[in-house]
Amino acid sequence: MQTPALPVPESRPLVPPSLRGVAPVVVALPVLALFQWLLGGADFASYLLSVMGVNIILAVSLNVVNGMTGQFSIGHAGFMAVGAYISGVLSLQLKEVALSFLPVAASDQVLFMLSLLVGGAAAAACGFLVGLPSLRLRGDYLAIVTLGFGEIIRVVVQNTDSFGRALGLSGIPQASSPAMVYFWVFLVVLAARRLAGSSHGRSLWAIREDEVAAEAMGVDTTGYKVRAFVFSSFFAGIAGGLFAHFVPIINPGSFTFVRSMEIVVMVVLGGLGSTTGAIVAAIFLTLLPEGMRSLFSALGTEGSLAQRVDQIRMPIYGVLLVVLMLARPQGLFGSKELWDVLPRWLPRKRRGLA
Amino acid sequence: MSADIQAVAAKDGASPALLHADGVGIQFGGLKALTDFRLSIHEGDLQGLIGPNGAGKSTAFNVLTGVYQPTQGQVRVRGAQVNGRKPHQINLMGVARTFQNIRLFRALTALDNVKVACRAQTGLHQMSTGLGAKFAAARHNYADWWKALLLTPGFQREEKRLTEQAEHLLEVMGLSHRRDEEARNLPYGEQRRLEIARALGTQPRVLLLDEPAAGMNTREKADLMVLIRKLRDDFKLGVLVIEHDMKLVMGICEHITVLDHGETIARGAPAQVRGDRKVIEAYLGDSYLESHGGAA
Repeated sequence: MQTPALPVPESRPLVPPSLRGVAPVVVALPVLALFQWLLGGADFASYLLSVMGVNIILAVSLNVVNGMTGQFSIGHAGFMAVGAYISGVLSLQLKEVALSFLPVAASDQVLFMLSLLVGGAAAAACGFLVGLPSLRLRGDYLAIVTLGFGEIIRVVVQNTDSFGRALGLSGIPQASSPAMVYFWVFLVVLAARRLAGSSHGRSLWAIREDEVAAEAMGVDTTGYKVRAFVFSSFFAGIAGGLFAHFVPIINPGSFTFVRSMEIVVMVVLGGLGSTTGAIVAAIFLTLLPEGMRSLFSALGTEGSLAQRVDQIRMPIYGVLLVVLMLARPQGLFGSKELWDVLPRWLPRKRRGLA
Repeated sequence: MSADIQAVAAKDGASPALLHADGVGIQFGGLKALTDFRLSIHEGDLQGLIGPNGAGKSTAFNVLTGVYQPTQGQVRVRGAQVNGRKPHQINLMGVARTFQNIRLFRALTALDNVKVACRAQTGLHQMSTGLGAKFAAARHNYADWWKALLLTPGFQREEKRLTEQAEHLLEVMGLSHRRDEEARNLPYGEQRRLEIARALGTQPRVLLLDEPAAGMNTREKADLMVLIRKLRDDFKLGVLVIEHDMKLVMGICEHITVLDHGETIARGAPAQVRGDRKVIEAYLGDSYLESHGGAA
C-alpha cells in the first residue's frame, strides 16, 4: 500500500544550520552601509526614509499582536512615546559623555544604541504591565486598556518637567541615520517572520483562530498573548527611540491617539497577519501625505500647505478604509505574504512559466 | 451509587484513576446544570456518556477539562486535584478533548493544527502555582522565544521533531494526503478526525470525545468506532465518548453513564442501562412507558 520512499537527494543547505540564525544580519550590514553611502547628504530623502522606516517598524510590530494573535491594541503610540522619551532623556544626559577608547562618531553610535535599547526595554516593561492584567480577559478589554494607557502616557509627559511638558524635548543628539533605522526595520521583519514560522507563532495563530480550542490543546493563551505584546511593545519603543533621534523636537502631540490609529490603519490595510502587507501599507501611508503635499504645491495652493495636508489626511484615511473594507475586507494581502499573493495577481500566461 | 464507583476504582488496585470526578456539581445562577456527577476513567477504559439534549453532557466535559469551575465536588487527574486549574494545565496533565461543534484552527493547515498541540508538550510547564515557579516558567518561556528568533540549531531540531510527530499522527488518522490543506477546506468527517489527531498531539492519557460521530452516516460511524477502539489500544488511553446514537454507544462502550437534567440516572454495562426504566423514560417520555406497560 505504501509506496517506498524515494531516495531524496540530501540537498546541501546553502548555510549550515548553526549559522542560519545570524546569516541574514551578516548579509544586511554591508547592504545598509552601501545604502547609507548612496544616500549621502540628501536631507529630505533621509528624513522621509527614516519616517517611513519608523512606520514600518510600528506596523510590523503591531501586526504581531493585532494580526497574528488576533488581539486588538490601539495604544501603540503610547509605547512609542515611552521609547522616545526614555531614550531621548538618556541621550540628553549622555550628550557630553564619550567613550575614550573609541573614535567620537563610533562612541556616539554606541551610546545611541544603548539609549535605544533602554527605551525599548522600558516600553517592553510597560507592555508587560499593561498586558498581564488585560490579556487574561477575552474580548475588547485590551483595546480599552491600551487606549487608556496611550492617553495616560501622553498626559504624564505633558505634566512632567524632565520630559519638557507640552513644549517637548529638543536638543536630542541627531544620532540616527537611515541605515540605523533600516537596520531595526530589518531586525523587526526578520523577528516577525521567524516568529510566524515557529511553533510560538503557530500558537499565536491558534489563539487568533480559536482561543478556547488553543487553551484546550495545552496552549497557555495568556502567556503567549503577553509575550506577543511585550515583543510588540519593545519594537514600538525602539521605533520611538529612533524617531526621537532624527526629528528636531519631540512633543506629546506626536504620540496622540490619532497616531495610534494611523498604525492600526496600516496593519488593517495591509491585511491582519501579513508582515509584508504591513510594510507595503506603511510605505503607502507615509508617502500619501507627501504626495498630496507635492500635489497641492503643483496646484499652487502654497499658503498653509502643511495644515491643509494634515487636515485632509484623516478624511482620506477614512474614505480609504471604507473603500478597502468594502472591496477587500481581509486587507490587501489577507493573512498571506506578498510572495503567496503575487503569483495570483500576475497575468495567467506568466504564471505557467514560473 | 458510590459503591459502584469504588468497585471501579478497586479494579485498578493502588493506582489512582486517570480521571476521576467525585460528586461534581455546577450551578449557573439558579440552574443546576450538573449535580453529583461521578466518574472514574482508567487506562484501557472505553466509557460512554449519554443523555437527551440538554442533559448536561457537554457541561460535564467542560467541568472535567477546566473550562467551567465546579461549584461542588472535585475533579482529580491521576490523583491530583485540578479544581481551579486552567484548561491548558489540565490538558498538560494528560486530558485531551474534542469539541461538539468542531473547533479547529480553521486557517491553519492540517499539519499545523496538530503541531500546535504537539508543541504544548515540549516546553517546561510548571504545575505549581508558587511565585518562584511562575517566575522560572516565565523565564524559560521567554528564553524559548529567543531561541526561535535566533534560529538556534537546537530550535531547528525541535521543529523538525514536531513535524515528524505531527505527520505520524496525521498518518494514524488517515489524513496524510491533507497535510498542507487548510483545516476549513477539509470535508466534515475529516475535520472530525483532524480534531482527534490534534487532541492526540498533546499526548494525553485520557481522551474525551464530544459527539465524534455527529453528522456522519452509519458506515462512517462504524468505521470511526473501530478507529477509536484502536486508538485506545495503541496509545494506551482511557476514552470517554459523548454520543447521541444509543445503538452506537451500546455497541462499543463497556461502561455507560446516563445523564438527564444534570443528574446521573443510570450507570453500568450497556445491557443494564438499556433496560433501565429511568433511561427509557428520559429518552422516550413516560407516555411511552404507560402505553407499553413498563420497561424491558
